[in-house]
Amino acid sequence: MSKKRKISLSEEELVLALRNHEKIAIEALYDMYSASLFGVISRIVVDTATAEDLLQETFVKIWHSFSGYSTEKGRLFTWMVNIARNLAIDKLRSKDFKNQNKNQELENNVTFIDEQRNTVYKPELLGIKELVETLKPEQKLILDLVYFKGYTHVEAADELGIPLGTIKTRLRMAIQQLRKHFN
Amino acid sequence: MEDIKAYIESGILELYVLGDVTPDEKLQVEAMALKHPAIKAELDEIERSMELYAGKNAVEPAEHLRGRILNSLLTNFADDSTFDEVIEEPKNNVVAFTAPKATNFYKYAFAACLALLLASVVALVSMYNKLQDSNSTIAALQTDKQHFANTVSLKEGELEVLQDASFKFLKLQATTKAPTGSQITVAWSPARKKVWIDMKSLKMPENDKEHQYQLWALVAGKPVDLGVFDANADTADMKPMKSIASADAFAVTLEPKGGSPTPTMGEMMVIGKF
Repeated sequence: MSKKRKISLSEEELVLALRNHEKIAIEALYDMYSASLFGVISRIVVDTATAEDLLQETFVKIWHSFSGYSTEKGRLFTWMVNIARNLAIDKLRSKDFKNQNKNQELENNVTFIDEQRNTVYKPELLGIKELVETLKPEQKLILDLVYFKGYTHVEAADELGIPLGTIKTRLRMAIQQLRKHFN
Repeated sequence: MEDIKAYIESGILELYVLGDVTPDEKLQVEAMALKHPAIKAELDEIERSMELYAGKNAVEPAEHLRGRILNSLLTNFADDSTFDEVIEEPKNNVVAFTAPKATNFYKYAFAACLALLLASVVALVSMYNKLQDSNSTIAALQTDKQHFANTVSLKEGELEVLQDASFKFLKLQATTKAPTGSQITVAWSPARKKVWIDMKSLKMPENDKEHQYQLWALVAGKPVDLGVFDANADTADMKPMKSIASADAFAVTLEPKGGSPTPTMGEMMVIGKF
């Protein structure tokens, strides 16, 4: 299948185009951010179909509430990833999703397990390996718990049995490491 | 500047970027960022790093999603342009259920029962009609049989009269009242006290519906009623009349229907004497 050329704009151009409700802005938005947002969503919600629905919900919400975003508040992606993460976590904690998961376990165990394995072996995730050397395991663990699993740092502290202060420090150190790595 | 450095080092900015702050803290961070360019710059750095980190963790969504999602957003647009949707081969997730056999069995059994019932009803109706035919045939045969039995007994009576030597035959001749040639033959056996009229040889004008002929026996000059009869063309038998042991003469009068206790002498049609 021939892949469409991806549209890429600078963040300023994109924000302006989105404000003006230009059609090209939506395409650019999707092409620039869908993979990163889907990466976050599919870490939180394992089931592919649900993650796809959530990605759609995320874009709809971004589109509808775009007037609520201003550049002063920070980068566009930070704003969007928060929307995606909140939707995914809400879904994960919703009653019908929990029931759905139970049903999957009972009826469709094999498929469910396959999907989980697939997620682990997704080639797109191979890029993380280079980060393993950058981040210490305990730093990566906490960062991923908060960033990808939707834990608050308080919950992470409880889960790992680590003092709150240590959690905060490790989070900060992890991000510092990332900054060094990406610079 | 110390305050700002401490603020940066508190880790609140990281939590802010990770979306792990209360609404109050969020407002505070945003206010601080507006006030202090250093904080703003620090925040920007953190955001950029997380964005890149997310980029490293990116998962390319399935291609068909692009059209689907873009189209769902474009429903807001007034124009009718749409994005090409990558059409994915629909998975064949139709599960064929084997038809439960018991249901079919009962269905056919029910149909068979219905057909049988229908056939039975038809057969029953036809049998009933045949039975009716048979019954009417039997009734007709019985009537016939009765008729023949009657005829036979009548013929036996006639035969008896003819064979019995004790019977006397008497021709009653017409009076002035009756048309010329009128006559009735009466057979009488004094020993058996039986009287017959031979209807075959009867030659009398036909009586109307209000009148009947009445046969009388004259015993010592007095008339004795022997019964009434009709003179019809279709009666051709011997008709038995009332019994009498002795008689001097026989006479027939025309009387009102049912007969009279005493003869109307003026209407005497035929008479015969021994």
